Amino acid sequence: MSTKNESMGKTLGVVVGLCLVCAIVVSFASVQLRPMQQANKNEDIQRNILAVAGFDKVKNVSEVFNQNIESRVVSLKTGEFVEDVKAETFDFEATKFDAKRSYKLSKEEDKAGIQRITNNSPVYFAKDDQGQVSTIILPIQGYGLWGVMYGFLALEADGETIKSINFYKHSETPGLGGEIQNPKWTALWEGKELPIDVVKGSAGGNEHKVDGLSGATLTSNGVDHTVDFWTSDKAFGPFLAKVRKGALN
Amino acid sequence: MANAKEMKEVLFGPVFANNPIALQVLGICSALAVTSSLKNALIMSIALTLVTAFSSLFISMIRNHIPSSVRIIVQMTIIASLVIVVDQVLQAVVYSTAKELSTFIGLIITNCIVMGRAEAYAMKSPPTMSFLDGIGNGLGYSVVLLTVGFIRELFGAGTLFGVEILPLISEGGWYQPMGLLVMPFSSFFIVGAFIWALRTWKKDQVEAKA
Repeated sequence: MSTKNESMGKTLGVVVGLCLVCAIVVSFASVQLRPMQQANKNEDIQRNILAVAGFDKVKNVSEVFNQNIESRVVSLKTGEFVEDVKAETFDFEATKFDAKRSYKLSKEEDKAGIQRITNNSPVYFAKDDQGQVSTIILPIQGYGLWGVMYGFLALEADGETIKSINFYKHSETPGLGGEIQNPKWTALWEGKELPIDVVKGSAGGNEHKVDGLSGATLTSNGVDHTVDFWTSDKAFGPFLAKVRKGALN
Repeated sequence: MANAKEMKEVLFGPVFANNPIALQVLGICSALAVTSSLKNALIMSIALTLVTAFSSLFISMIRNHIPSSVRIIVQMTIIASLVIVVDQVLQAVVYSTAKELSTFIGLIITNCIVMGRAEAYAMKSPPTMSFLDGIGNGLGYSVVLLTVGFIRELFGAGTLFGVEILPLISEGGWYQPMGLLVMPFSSFFIVGAFIWALRTWKKDQVEAKA
């Protein structure tokens, strides 16, 4: 290696040049591939909505989704449907930080640890053969141990009975809190009634209690708070109240 | 320009004779973590092979201009950029696998095989040879990963690439899966057995007793 490589000018030149080239390559890849990644993410969300509604191992996701699932947007304050916002293009992250379309939760209100909540939220309905709503699917999110857990809560048409719950994106510890994705655990939720408590030890046959995950108390608490919050008056509460009075069918 | 014999040795030497995992015992972490299914192992192998090959190529191309005071940073920058590109491509093309592999793709950056080849070989060798060396070491890594993935998926879940081979008892078949193989640490046994088998075959790899 020649000594002229070691001069300050050469060192700086090489480093700056390299950074420029690498930055261009990375940005180019990122920008070029973003539409495909976005399409994949949307399909993943649709797949999860289908899964929580009871459609397992679907091959043609968007087709089955369009045939069986109806997407609506609901106002979290009044519980009424909002017609001028489309569920298909609802971007929760972008909306959450737009002061016109969201607001900050106070410390007491913010049980799920999400800081801000949107004014509206998408909801999804699965219908049976007669065209009656059979499942209501609510998007939920809340802070676990390490980060925000994103998932769906599926309720029966009565707005009380839990059909299933799943989390499609989280950063909980694999093997401990990560077990919130385990079908064996989510199966415990089936048939339980709101309001739900995630408890330590045996919940037995109590219809308002679900066994927490052993070794993952904080994650279990996070799930507990998340479900409590999203079914409370601050979130889907007003909407669920209307559902219970028979607003859907 | 190197002759054909040398090129062949650089390309295929690391597969068995100088395997990065079995002989040098590098890159063990990802070999444990991503081998529960053959598909993940295959995609991880391809990703690592590409990153090793191209990082060696690019580092070798500019090796005469890299100031030695910042050479590790220069190598890391090139490797990290390539890993990000690979990660982006995986997210665009095979999203569900990319989701499962998530952090382990990012961790290719710190995989000692990539760094090791850059520092030990690419800094001193011409680009074509470095590229082949990267491919060769990637192949060596892939052989171990695919072997471990094959054993773990076949005997742990009764499937290969998700296709049922041994019908499970829980689904009405006859095969009782070995739950142990689903856990990451079972790879230690398989990698250990692989090294044992390899050293029984190639006795020169056995380390001299102190």
